[in-house]
Amino acid sequence: MTASAVAWAGFWAGAAGYLAATVLFFWQISRGLPPRLVRLGPVFIGAGALSHAVFITLASLVANICPVRSVNFALSVGALATAFGYLVARLRWRIDAIGAFVAPIGLTFLIASRLANLGAVDAELPPFFLALHVGVNLIGDALFLLACTTAVLYLVVEKRLKEKKLGGVLGRLPSLDVLDQAEHRFLLFGFPLLTLGIITGTAWAYRLEAGHAGEVLRAAFAYLTWAVFAGVLLLRAAAGWRGRRAALGTITGFFFAVLVLVVYLVRPPAGPVLSCSSSLAFPTAPRPSRCASGSPSRPTRCPPCSAPSPAGPRSAR
Amino acid sequence: MPAVLGAFAGRPSVGEVMCVSTCNRVEVVATPPPGAQVDLDRVAEEIVAALEGFATPGSGPVLRPHLYRKVGKDAVQHLFRVASSLDSLVVGEPQILGQVKQAFEAAQAAGTVGPGLQRIVGRALQTAKRVRSETSIGEGQVSIASVAVDLARQIFGELKGHRALLVGAGEMALGAAQLVVRAGARLDVINRSPERAQALARELGAGVRAWDELPSAIVDTDVVISSTSAPGFVLTHDIVSRAVKLRKGRTLFFIDIAVPRDIEPSVEALNNVFLYDVDDLEGVVRETFREREGEAKRAEQLVAEEMSSFDAWVDTQSVVPTVVALRAKARATLMAELERSFAGKLKHLGQPERAALEVMVDAAVNKLLHAPVARLKRAAGDPRGEQMAQIVRELFELPDVTVVSDASGAAGGARERGGP
Repeated sequence: MTASAVAWAGFWAGAAGYLAATVLFFWQISRGLPPRLVRLGPVFIGAGALSHAVFITLASLVANICPVRSVNFALSVGALATAFGYLVARLRWRIDAIGAFVAPIGLTFLIASRLANLGAVDAELPPFFLALHVGVNLIGDALFLLACTTAVLYLVVEKRLKEKKLGGVLGRLPSLDVLDQAEHRFLLFGFPLLTLGIITGTAWAYRLEAGHAGEVLRAAFAYLTWAVFAGVLLLRAAAGWRGRRAALGTITGFFFAVLVLVVYLVRPPAGPVLSCSSSLAFPTAPRPSRCASGSPSRPTRCPPCSAPSPAGPRSAR
Repeated sequence: MPAVLGAFAGRPSVGEVMCVSTCNRVEVVATPPPGAQVDLDRVAEEIVAALEGFATPGSGPVLRPHLYRKVGKDAVQHLFRVASSLDSLVVGEPQILGQVKQAFEAAQAAGTVGPGLQRIVGRALQTAKRVRSETSIGEGQVSIASVAVDLARQIFGELKGHRALLVGAGEMALGAAQLVVRAGARLDVINRSPERAQALARELGAGVRAWDELPSAIVDTDVVISSTSAPGFVLTHDIVSRAVKLRKGRTLFFIDIAVPRDIEPSVEALNNVFLYDVDDLEGVVRETFREREGEAKRAEQLVAEEMSSFDAWVDTQSVVPTVVALRAKARATLMAELERSFAGKLKHLGQPERAALEVMVDAAVNKLLHAPVARLKRAAGDPRGEQMAQIVRELFELPDVTVVSDASGAAGGARERGGP
């Protein structure tokens, strides 16, 4: 069996695992399931994440590209980090129900990374610098995503308890304090990564002398994200901002983090579009490279991974 | 229990017997002796007579009107319903399943159960497990104290390591405090009367706080259970608001079981403060009962399904002696022929070959008789089945067999209203 075939098997197994977990979690939360079936939810996410990891590893080897250099791959890696973060966190807290968010997110990003063509990350930067910047941002965002989903669940549970709507879905959700603690820990671990991401991002922008309006906006949202999360953590420690306030702050911070990503993904092309992302990032049969506009272009080497790519990197930052 | 079971089993009409005894239920489940042609009503009558024998001399006529008896399929269905907690006052309570299991194990230890009761009780336990797993009959809490503790768990997760405070000494609050302690929380008691506080603390294994420490006590506490007889609010909005600030936002859960209320209702609006009063908790209990009523209907359907499957099995028992005799005759005939061959033309065969041939004969008997046996079992329970069995017995010259079903029980018992 070729590496390409194994990668495809990983893709479909990952999608099946995430899909099964999604169905199971939604069924459990909406209608309830026997405990032996409930336990299968995280198992399916684990199996999905493992297959997802196999897919990313082999697909990037087949395409000869670093996952951090392809936006498609990078988003897929982010979803994978979310799944692993969830699996690790549930060893400490009873937050299985968050799987209801994690599984569909994993599924969506796994499929979207295959279907969408999101371009490549800037090629002018040193490999280590690029890997550090993209890596910390991905893991940080994964942790913020987990913090945000935990915060959403906190608000749901808190509202039902305040309104005294007991029974039904409430008994199938994690307890309020556990959600609050987990959310805080996700933020606490994600914040240093965000800080590092912002420092490397600022250095990067300075190096590239970036001055594009989108980049300025992205930097502004990134600093805003950092400020909101810093505020949430600081106010929690100093003024006891826990529970509802912390949850709302976390959701706000994550909203800005999403804006950073959205501004990045909808950035205007600064030159010929690099397609060493989806077309080469996945184990498909070799074919002539094309620009996003459809015009054929001569493949070049795509530094630093030496993957063949069309000439002219797209400004990724 | 062995002596009681022995007394029942010693009766001539009683074969197997077990006794289910709970805080408000004494039930005797019995079958006639195997092979005996005994009227099940007579078995039930003997059980009732034996029960009267345990009563205080002279109280027999007083006891009898409080007893009930169920015979045959009614008795089996009753046991299925009892094990499934459909016959309990608090429908869906979980203890009864364990109590039926214990009763069966006690009877096994006393040697008063055989294949009949084993089959009936096994099916009853299987039915009960099905009811538990396929319905939500056991979900929710049915007492104010357990609802309160359930809520505390919903807020704090595990209560181990958390602190609770019992304010006052109302009976319901005491029940909730006991459950909170059992769940692992550290409890303090606070009461206007220091003597009463000391006594309660001893009873509950809790610490004691002085009454005037109440405002500072709630700063260190996660769960406050209040049930005083004070005419006004004991914990006002101001006191709680100050405590919340000092607690740096840590969640605070108030359970107000007092009438009139001990805790000012407006504290509920404070961040990270949850207040439930006795009306809220009673509402949850009522909702649980309402949901269980609905689930009980589904559970009754499951019991009916299991009963119908059990009836089908009982019916097949009427043809079992014919089937057994038919198989035995077919096997004996073929084995006799095989033995004759082993002594003659096949005497050169070694032991492994002979064993292989014997296995082959067994397989041939099973295959040959599979269709007629399946047809006989399918027809069992209706007159055609008995007719077919009779024809088979005549055709194959099988001995006449007495058809006795061990799988019909007779139950007698007494039950009070108010428990499992």
